[in-house]
Amino acid sequence: MTGGGEGGRGGRGESLAAALGEIVGARHVRTALPERITYARDGLPTHRRVPGVVVLPGSRDEVVAVVRLLAALGVPFVPRGAGTGLSGGALANDDAVLMVLTRLNRILAIDPRNRIAVVEPGVVNVRLSAAAAPHGLYYSPDPSSQTACTIGGNVAENAGGPHCLKYGVTATHVLGLEVVLADGQVVELGSPGGEPWGPDLVGLFVGSEGNFGIATRIRVRLLPVPRAIRTLLADFSALRTAGEAVSAVIASGIVPAALEMMDQSCINAVEDSVYAAGYPRDAAAVLLVELDGCREEAVAADADTIAGILRAHGARDVLSAADAKQRERLWQGRKKAFGAMGRLSRDLVVQDAVVPRSSLPDVLEAIGRIAAAYGLTVSNVFHAGDGNLHPNISFDGRVPGLKARVDQASGEIMAVCIAAGGTITGEHGIGLDKLRYMPLIFDGDALAAMRAVRLVFDPLERVNPGKVVPVHACREWSGVRSAQWGVRSAADRDRSSNSALRIPHSAFES
Amino acid sequence: MTDRGGFEGLDSCVHCGFCLQACPTFLATGDESDSPRGRIELMRALETGELAPADPGVALHLDRCLGCRGCEPVCPSGVSYGRGLEAARALLTARRGVPPLVRAALGALTGADVSRVVYALARLVRATGIPSRLAGWGRIRFALGMLAATKPVRNAEFGMRNRSSRVNSAFRTPHSAFTPVTLFRGCVMEGLFSHVHDATIRTLQVNGYAVREVPAQVCCGALHAHAGLRDEARRLARTNVAAFGDDDTPIVVNSAGCGAMLKEYGHLVDVPGDGARFAARVRDVSELLAERGPRPGAPLDVTVAYDPPCHLLHAQRIAEPPERMLRAIPVLRVISMPDAAQCCGSAGLFTLVEPAMSRAVLAPKLASLAEARPQVVATGNPGCLMQLGAGLSAAGVPAAVRHPVELLDESYRAAGYYA
Repeated sequence: MTGGGEGGRGGRGESLAAALGEIVGARHVRTALPERITYARDGLPTHRRVPGVVVLPGSRDEVVAVVRLLAALGVPFVPRGAGTGLSGGALANDDAVLMVLTRLNRILAIDPRNRIAVVEPGVVNVRLSAAAAPHGLYYSPDPSSQTACTIGGNVAENAGGPHCLKYGVTATHVLGLEVVLADGQVVELGSPGGEPWGPDLVGLFVGSEGNFGIATRIRVRLLPVPRAIRTLLADFSALRTAGEAVSAVIASGIVPAALEMMDQSCINAVEDSVYAAGYPRDAAAVLLVELDGCREEAVAADADTIAGILRAHGARDVLSAADAKQRERLWQGRKKAFGAMGRLSRDLVVQDAVVPRSSLPDVLEAIGRIAAAYGLTVSNVFHAGDGNLHPNISFDGRVPGLKARVDQASGEIMAVCIAAGGTITGEHGIGLDKLRYMPLIFDGDALAAMRAVRLVFDPLERVNPGKVVPVHACREWSGVRSAQWGVRSAADRDRSSNSALRIPHSAFES
Repeated sequence: MTDRGGFEGLDSCVHCGFCLQACPTFLATGDESDSPRGRIELMRALETGELAPADPGVALHLDRCLGCRGCEPVCPSGVSYGRGLEAARALLTARRGVPPLVRAALGALTGADVSRVVYALARLVRATGIPSRLAGWGRIRFALGMLAATKPVRNAEFGMRNRSSRVNSAFRTPHSAFTPVTLFRGCVMEGLFSHVHDATIRTLQVNGYAVREVPAQVCCGALHAHAGLRDEARRLARTNVAAFGDDDTPIVVNSAGCGAMLKEYGHLVDVPGDGARFAARVRDVSELLAERGPRPGAPLDVTVAYDPPCHLLHAQRIAEPPERMLRAIPVLRVISMPDAAQCCGSAGLFTLVEPAMSRAVLAPKLASLAEARPQVVATGNPGCLMQLGAGLSAAGVPAAVRHPVELLDESYRAAGYYA
């Protein structure tokens, strides 16, 4: 797989690159094979696709011009932020253009009185919080990759993070969007106040995995930094008791800001790294529980209650972070845990599934049995309070046949999660990686409905093609459904049907 | 882990991307090909043969790497990026040779005989004061600014009268209690920063170290290794290992770039035991001084921005000791710069051979220095001193650049520690 598409594209590829260069400047168009290879993977490196051309626009106007050019030429394209996604969602085939949005990294406005910020898609998540900090505000969704990932990517994936347990995922915090559709039309979704009129199109767009177009301006809610915070680290001698403690904490009625679990294998990977946080290496699992609020006494009382519950449910020890520095260390260890998995083996697959919280103890044991049966190392680090599991399978891809075993084990883990009443993704999205699981949880009707919604935004299916909805794998229903919807081929669809999206207001006037 | 010439250090990369925002060139271009993760892809493809070392698309982005290793301390998996880079550059150099400009610069700065003449001429030019007047942007004027930045700051500018350079016996440690150390002199440090060596010797002495000279030492080989000339670097390393002998005397270094290289000798010298033993002796001057406090000096009423050299902070992971040196100077105020940990764009010969990227990396740092307006920017590496000095004068920011050890020296002189 060397991305030999260059030869295949021949003269057409060169003229496309030249035309793109006229819009964005030649140095922001990448056509050489080595350069395209650096874009062949995202944060889930088991998938690899070498894009045909990479273009890095520097402004909204350039994005629009590029999209219009590609629409005129009928070339598919894939938007990409920092490439930290974990489902292969930002990969492009060699017949497609990869549109990299890292240069659109301006924070356009911070309005502290109304607690709103307007950003371009390439703004790195943590930088928005840093910019809002002088006003006592922050941007709440905190995916573990927040020091690297972009808010545009967060919108595409409806990213979660530890603190989404209390504050909600990205969708809760996006108020409005300026979107460039596949044909180059610019539409504004949402209302200035954040309350949708008519259908919630912002809600529809957030989490659409790049299938509905490119968000070029994002209006987000900022929250006041909590005045009182307590961070607890509880360690357990068995995975099962830790899982049971999670349900007990939630049952108490206190909503923690975050409730995370790490198992022993993960603890050791972190403790071996520069992010060593002082987690007890001999623990079978640790829970990281954060309480926050406005009043010191109230949060302290909640923390005491939770610590008591944790002890009553088998915690050997409950440590409370002594100061902001220790809290930061405890969190950095958790957030960098995924990156530390490289210490276990050279290749890694991270899974993302959700199960009902109450079934965590059983599912964790089942995952352990599957790992043992396949002779694989599985490390668990996840958002326990949400029941959002992230089993990480470490392996050496050079060993013949091992990758196939990993895929089989992944499939079995997913089947266990679904059987427990769960689903196939909590926050990483479907992308390429989970296409194969979609038919396990959605029937043909549901998938056809998803596709129909997508066609409203992108009738020719040119934006991020081949992701999310397994169209080609399920030809029998996709054909039937298209006929039922009165559409013989997507190309026949009346484009003016998009006009409903063009809500004229000036939410983004700068 | 088998030895694959350094490439094995890249194996633990799982593509998480946590390095991206720590990379000055990625921040400048937003291009994955200019990021550590992207370059690791290139290096891996070079090792497997998927990409050829002759491919200009490979060379462009590996050449544009500063080698600052800012990605290493943020990597959760502990990828040895620097070692992988040197392995990859060795492959490139084996294929295409050394670019003429690099070859010329190596000869002029590190060649045993040539460099002596070059540095003598440079000092003459520097003494005329012309470089500081002509310093500015543009290749030549920036180079003149770099030369001007090497000029010792006169004591009078800090209101000092005592010009003596011998440590007053009253302030010395009793002779028997001296810890013997040897001084690594290097090339640029010896040629243009001998005043820093003098300050190093004096401040160490005040803190109970006796500095012994080692005559047969040579260049550390860092610039060679960065240019992909591993065999030349290896030869130099062997000479140094022999020159410094086989005892436990610490080898004190005041150039972060040299220190980082000397600490890598374990991987470079054919007899790894020898190289590793040598590497274990290497100490940055700030480490040795911080171990003894260091002894406080007299007040200096000056505002200092400390800019940690990448090869001290990232490569050697030395963060605290230089700050302890500065804290030993009463009244002196250290202002913290938000982007201090980021590379200044000097990176050895990088500033000469990749001027556009080098200036792009320097720009944000200059902007924050212009805002903070320190009187002195302190940094412990000759390349950084020159790069920051040239940048500050080109940007019209009135701050002097100095090695931290010079400031401590200044403070000791004011305290009357020197006879």
